[in-house]
Amino acid sequence: MPKKYHIHTSSVQNRLPKIIKSGVIAWEEGCLKCARCVKKECVYKVYEKRGLDGESMVDSTDTMCMDCFRCVQNCPNRLIQKGINPLYRDMGDEYWTPDIISNIWFQAETGRIPVSGAGYGGPFSGPGFDSMWTDMSEIVRPTRDGIHGREYISTTVDIGRKPMYLEFGDDGSLLTPIPPLVEIPLPVIFDLLPFSPPGDNIPQSLIAGARSINTYVIMKWSYLKEKGISPLQNIIPFLDGNTDDIEEGVIKSIPIIEIPDRGEPVSVQNRLNEINPQLVVMIRVELAPGIEEKACDLTKKGAHTLHLCADEFGNEQAEKPLFIKDRVRSVHGTLVEKGIRDQVTLLASGGIAMAEHMAKLIICGADCVAVDIPLLVAMECRICRRCKEGLSCPAKLETVEPQWGGKRITNLMGGWHNQLLEVLGAMGMREVRRLRGEMGRAMFFEDLEREVFSNLGQRGQG
Amino acid sequence: METKEERQGLNFYFFFCQRIDKEQEKNRRTIEKSMGDKVRLFPIPCSGRIEPIHILRALEKGADKVYVLTCREGLCRYREGNLRAKKRVSYAQKLMEEIGLEKERVELINLKKENGMTIDTLVEDLVGKKTNIGSSPLNKPLL
Ligand code: SF4
Repeated sequence: MPKKYHIHTSSVQNRLPKIIKSGVIAWEEGCLKCARCVKKECVYKVYEKRGLDGESMVDSTDTMCMDCFRCVQNCPNRLIQKGINPLYRDMGDEYWTPDIISNIWFQAETGRIPVSGAGYGGPFSGPGFDSMWTDMSEIVRPTRDGIHGREYISTTVDIGRKPMYLEFGDDGSLLTPIPPLVEIPLPVIFDLLPFSPPGDNIPQSLIAGARSINTYVIMKWSYLKEKGISPLQNIIPFLDGNTDDIEEGVIKSIPIIEIPDRGEPVSVQNRLNEINPQLVVMIRVELAPGIEEKACDLTKKGAHTLHLCADEFGNEQAEKPLFIKDRVRSVHGTLVEKGIRDQVTLLASGGIAMAEHMAKLIICGADCVAVDIPLLVAMECRICRRCKEGLSCPAKLETVEPQWGGKRITNLMGGWHNQLLEVLGAMGMREVRRLRGEMGRAMFFEDLEREVFSNLGQRGQG
Repeated sequence: METKEERQGLNFYFFFCQRIDKEQEKNRRTIEKSMGDKVRLFPIPCSGRIEPIHILRALEKGADKVYVLTCREGLCRYREGNLRAKKRVSYAQKLMEEIGLEKERVELINLKKENGMTIDTLVEDLVGKKTNIGSSPLNKPLL
């Protein structure tokens, strides 16, 4: 049995005061001067340690309070109240909610799985990934067995093309050419960032994170070239400019490359393979209606890997867009119908915000996912997108220490890895490759609704 | 009387109740784009949460003028937040005078309208307003 993959996490302090959900609003006027003031009894010593961050003007009561409401309840003159912290409320957007952001912060800081307490409080359906439920029927023992190594669960996936059968010569020699394949220990690679403040610290942090967990990070070749970044260990160059604009020496030195879906991508792939037959080529395809046909066509022509990209909110390019999980499911289904699914690797990206999204996309048919925004959030990004408008970053991301950033990303991925192990353990699976396309292990709200209610109101026949 | 140019050279700090403009995160960007670092905006859960320390720290950090914007009196969600803010501001003014700073460097603006105000227009109006104060002595290099 190969060595067990484990992500080493450690507590990595925040650089900035944390933004929590609610702020304390306490009046001093009207104080009865009780002998035992509720403020003194705060178990977290929020009032005793109260201070002000001069730079961000953030009061420490807005960063340290744990929302136990003890002071609010116990002040006899009702002088303490709690209100929503405006900084918290204004983070992110409808998709990247403040709760998702603070959840990622917690994981990046501690490397631990966020625990919500007794039971799951919902949502039980809704747009996006929320309308999908996974089957946890095999919970027959602690799901943490996988995490603690009492059960061996593999999260390794392969990227590349796979032959459907092998042919041997009379002398027993292998006749089928074996296409290149790259193994990664976690079904996650890091994608191009849709936005980020300028500078090299953020890309360097991503590289550090990818190296530490032994996955890859996709980066524009124009950037890598301009900066002279070398070696390209754990980096997948994306040929954003002219696909010929890369030296043979570089092509020979890397295991994976990504090319855009322009012109005849498979002939570009073949050309690259002539230079380096061991190179896995990924084709970056935008998700859109009708993409199923293109996926079949590229697979038949010999594409190794298709990287199906949705936008930041998981939507495809269309007036009435389908959500990533639905389109990926349909692409996977079409390839299965045509009998060619196993030849190609599908990578999906866009709108992946939580560990469960990774598992759900794999159930919908992706072999592996690519994440982007959560990597920034791990470094305290608030998804305000000010950097996109050229405004200053409130989290000063341009100044992160790559070592610190790399550790935060490692922690986040450690949390995601453990959650994936839990899901697999609860489903009674021993490896993530088996989860791919296991749609029988999930229920989709739309399908259930149709099945249950579509007959209602219709007159029975006969 | 200082000119418009001089006024634009001043640093303004704004503390404002979050309820004044629910879309502050979007609306503030217009003003930040046109005025850059000259204007700094800090939403607070309730204007009553302002403490003299906020004001003094802002002055110490380079503010020439500090504004505290509160909702209309009688409309505070926490009943008396804007009244408390008033008290805090006058206390801060007392402290400022004690150390020789003009008390006009901090001003409380009690908004009259109930809704429909956006932080960018409010800030623009206030920055454009004539004031008698120049650059803060705290921002001048020590001789
Ligand atoms: S916090 Fe805002 S400005 Fe900074 S990286 Fe995130 S989105 Fe960009």
